[in-house]
Amino acid sequence: MQEMLRVENLTKRFGGLIALDEISLDVKKGIITMLIGPNGSGKTTLINCVTGFYNPDKGKVTFDGKIITNWPPHRIYELGLVRTFQIPQPFQKLTVLENLLTAYRGHPGEGFLKAPFRRSWMKEEEKATEMAFRFLEILDLDHMWDHPASNLSGGQMKLVEAGRAIMSGAKMILMDEPAAGLYPKLAQELFYYLTEMKNKLGVTFLIVEHRLELILDYIDHVYAMARGRIVSEGEPDKVLDDPIVIESYLGG
Amino acid sequence: MEISYEFLIFIRDFAIFFAIYLIVALSLNLEYGYTGIPNFGKVLAVAGGAFTVGAFPGRIIAWLFKVKPDLDYIRDNTIIVTEVNKILAGDPLLSISIFFLTLIVAGAIGAILGLISCYPAIRLREDYLAITLLAMGEAIQVIGYNYRPIVKGNIGVLVPDPFGWAGEYRYAAVALFILGISLAVFLYLERLVRSPLGRMLRAIRDNEEVAKSLGKDVTKIRMKTIIIAAVIGAVAGALDAFKAGGVISTSYHRVSWTFWPWVIVILGGAGNNIGVVVGTFIFATLRRVIDYYKGYLGPFIPFNVVWLDSLLLGITLIIIQMYRPEGIIKEKPTPTIGYKRIKEILMARKSSAKSKDTKSSQKIS
Repeated sequence: MQEMLRVENLTKRFGGLIALDEISLDVKKGIITMLIGPNGSGKTTLINCVTGFYNPDKGKVTFDGKIITNWPPHRIYELGLVRTFQIPQPFQKLTVLENLLTAYRGHPGEGFLKAPFRRSWMKEEEKATEMAFRFLEILDLDHMWDHPASNLSGGQMKLVEAGRAIMSGAKMILMDEPAAGLYPKLAQELFYYLTEMKNKLGVTFLIVEHRLELILDYIDHVYAMARGRIVSEGEPDKVLDDPIVIESYLGG
Repeated sequence: MEISYEFLIFIRDFAIFFAIYLIVALSLNLEYGYTGIPNFGKVLAVAGGAFTVGAFPGRIIAWLFKVKPDLDYIRDNTIIVTEVNKILAGDPLLSISIFFLTLIVAGAIGAILGLISCYPAIRLREDYLAITLLAMGEAIQVIGYNYRPIVKGNIGVLVPDPFGWAGEYRYAAVALFILGISLAVFLYLERLVRSPLGRMLRAIRDNEEVAKSLGKDVTKIRMKTIIIAAVIGAVAGALDAFKAGGVISTSYHRVSWTFWPWVIVILGGAGNNIGVVVGTFIFATLRRVIDYYKGYLGPFIPFNVVWLDSLLLGITLIIIQMYRPEGIIKEKPTPTIGYKRIKEILMARKSSAKSKDTKSSQKIS
């Protein structure tokens, strides 16, 4: 299988702290890969380095055949790599629907020249609205579409976060704890839907998650991190039984 | 009759004052209310537009009609502009052309100033951008004050009057033109903010990092917003100079053209153009009424009347911040394609989902 994302010798330091220590990993195209590891092991830092929010001190990131190290986030999005945030960050004063619409790819109405002319973007906007409602139904948020995002509960904000990533039409989505704060049934449904996206649209996922019991059925490959390094990788069952992984969680 | 005529003059002056401040406040609302750019240097664009009127149209006409070519435009400003006004008064078409040409040039100058003002700090955090913009706003006044060829420093220049042909209705013509332009600016900005672009600007304001992750080039978009707002601000400055018939550098001060527009936006409601119209109306009423009744109020208050409006505006601002921090009219969602159309799409989806359900159940049975 082909690699979608390749990270080579990625290093990130914060002063004296080495958050990522020569990390290398491959994410294969069209599967769901999971990244686990105890708090502070560098999972979120890795996502930030890959998506352009941090500049790594050393190493190389290749996405879909292009070297994207040190690219700004908006250009990485253009290539088709999108992320979500661990702490949900909705656009507070925008409605739920607007939150999703903002993620729509290549909208002509967002240009300064075309924006005043409704006719130039009306069709595209209707298409985007239709698409957004489809995802809102799946996420069980369609009844909330005209509420400002600040009125949502924590779990619903999490869903908006996921909805925006899905709406972006990305080739690959990096999700930072998408199920945290969701009740189990909804989390199952979310992962079920992500699997559907993987199967039908060929979207690749790299998911950071702690609630293993919920996600285990849906994932294809696991990387385990501890103290800024990859300590184990492979089939889910194999990695979870790996003594090094267990030890790292227990704080050995 | 005498009273009603005076009242008409009051209304006319009020309309001009209201319209010019409305344009400036709307442009600030685009920057601050919608995009979250703390522009504490709004005076820069306004002064740039006004200085353009001081420096540009008079020279052009004097050069075109060879008005006293042996005299210096700045040193002998009064003589030259008086001659220029005679030419303009006899030629309405030329007057209007030079009026709009000057507005375009002022807009271009505004765009350049907007770009220069934000370029050094646009990538930095909001507070640093605010400091830089504030400094840029101060700089233009210092330049206008000390570099005489623009508007003759602290003495000021007369500007050509493109409404001289209207005779006694001169001010009425000025009011109509300025009101028309402010209406056009309002409609343009309403269209802009009710588009996917407006949604994107509010998204950037609410969360810059997420907007970046969703492919928005935040730096570039902010820059473009500042430039558009500067163009609009410069047009307002140019209109103010044409209205007054003269430009003096000291009248383009941060209090009048940065702080007051901020008071208007906060009072009326940031992120809501209708709110800004209401805010401008309240502000203009307060200012004009105090100005108009200065003489009557004087004996009743224990301090100079000129401080009264600053005091009242300050109190208003505090009260607003305490009881309605989002302004008189709050920001509201502005659906791009309208609630009606969105509901239609939603209903169409629901009915198609239902028919699918019945189909599948039929298949099963």
